[in-house]
Amino acid sequence: MDHPAIRYVLIIGTAAFLQFALVTQFRIAGVSADLLLVVAVAAGIVAGTERGAVVGFVCGLCLDLLVVTPFGLGAISGLVAGVVAGALEGATVHSARWLTATIAFISSGAGVLSFAVCGALLGRSDMLSFHTLTVMAVVGISSALFVFPAIRVARWADPEDALLRAAVR
Amino acid sequence: MASSRRSGRVRITISLLLLSAVLLLTLDGRGSGPIQSVRSAVLTVLSPLGDAASSVASPFRNAWNSAFDQGDLKKENEALREENDRLKGDITANSIAKEQLQQLLQLVGIPFVGDTPVVHTRVVSGAVGNFGDRLELDKGSSSGIERNMPVVTGEGLIGKVVEVSENRSVVSLLSSGTFKVGFSVVGTAAIGIAQGTGGDASLRGSNIDSRQAVSVGSIAATSGLAGSPFPPNLPIGTITAVRTNDAALESTVDIKMFANLNDLVYADVVLWKPAG
Repeated sequence: MDHPAIRYVLIIGTAAFLQFALVTQFRIAGVSADLLLVVAVAAGIVAGTERGAVVGFVCGLCLDLLVVTPFGLGAISGLVAGVVAGALEGATVHSARWLTATIAFISSGAGVLSFAVCGALLGRSDMLSFHTLTVMAVVGISSALFVFPAIRVARWADPEDALLRAAVR
Repeated sequence: MASSRRSGRVRITISLLLLSAVLLLTLDGRGSGPIQSVRSAVLTVLSPLGDAASSVASPFRNAWNSAFDQGDLKKENEALREENDRLKGDITANSIAKEQLQQLLQLVGIPFVGDTPVVHTRVVSGAVGNFGDRLELDKGSSSGIERNMPVVTGEGLIGKVVEVSENRSVVSLLSSGTFKVGFSVVGTAAIGIAQGTGGDASLRGSNIDSRQAVSVGSIAATSGLAGSPFPPNLPIGTITAVRTNDAALESTVDIKMFANLNDLVYADVVLWKPAG
């Protein structure tokens, strides 16, 4: 239970269930928030690019199990979101709430865009349309809001002392 | 030194994960069995929990929808009033037209589903993802439903089953563009391939021999040619535009689906499998 991986499994499982059962019922312009993407972004912000990539990849796989789009698109989307969040957080020299929200917005948007672009490359040209911009906007804004509680949860999974140990290894 | 070693490790991790994702996409593209099985298992486990959560969230969902869709509801209400007035005047004309349509369908041999058994289902949820192209039905393999079976409403074809668990099935909508359907134009020898455009209830038909006379207003139905995953004569929609490319000897058409995909409550799964 103390290991970050176990804690992340619990977090991702809970996020997947909430996404399936609850979050998708609340939509704006036909688009719902993406909790799994929020978890990926939070992991990237808290623990860096590598952790963001791994957590994002697993989150994406969970999403892939719930939808009928090609299996693996969600994994790429989560991976991109986690990596972008980690890279942006690493590039910032000071911390502020608006900055964290902006990072969440940009990295979620990047995740959604990579999903749509990869889908289009696989023959789903309908994925790249005006609707994609709506999805990017709604998912980005919701991620910017949900990222703060998600960061607290990610800090529970990745306590700072564990991160420090990893950094000096 | 440690920093460059660490960034090298990060790059390797990301590359490995990307390669894994590409591998999964390839396996799924080839129709890998284990992936479908895992998806079905997840559906089986989550469906009852999802139903319970949906019941609990229902009042909140209604409040949310009324808050965000109020403008749309007003417009819809006005449109419905207008339509109601118009329909009252059309009732007499329609009863005559309906009789004529029945005669026409019989004449051209469209029995709709005919004697093929169907499973009546209720739509329990829409899309989970944001590139929504699926519906979830409240019946599954225990009712005889299998993957790739066609799904219809009283108006026509809406999609096909793509995932099945014991008590649930997931339908990919024809309008989404995720699959193609062979169609024939009723009253002509023209055949073609229709695919969704990702928009609402509109399809694009292609590969039609331009020497065949296809006109706006004609009816498109599934062709059911050998190897087709759909039975013949399931109504698809009305042709709304025809474009002919004389050089390529090919026509393309726009098709407006008969079935209304908004607010679907019930759908029938046709228990039909292609021969062989």
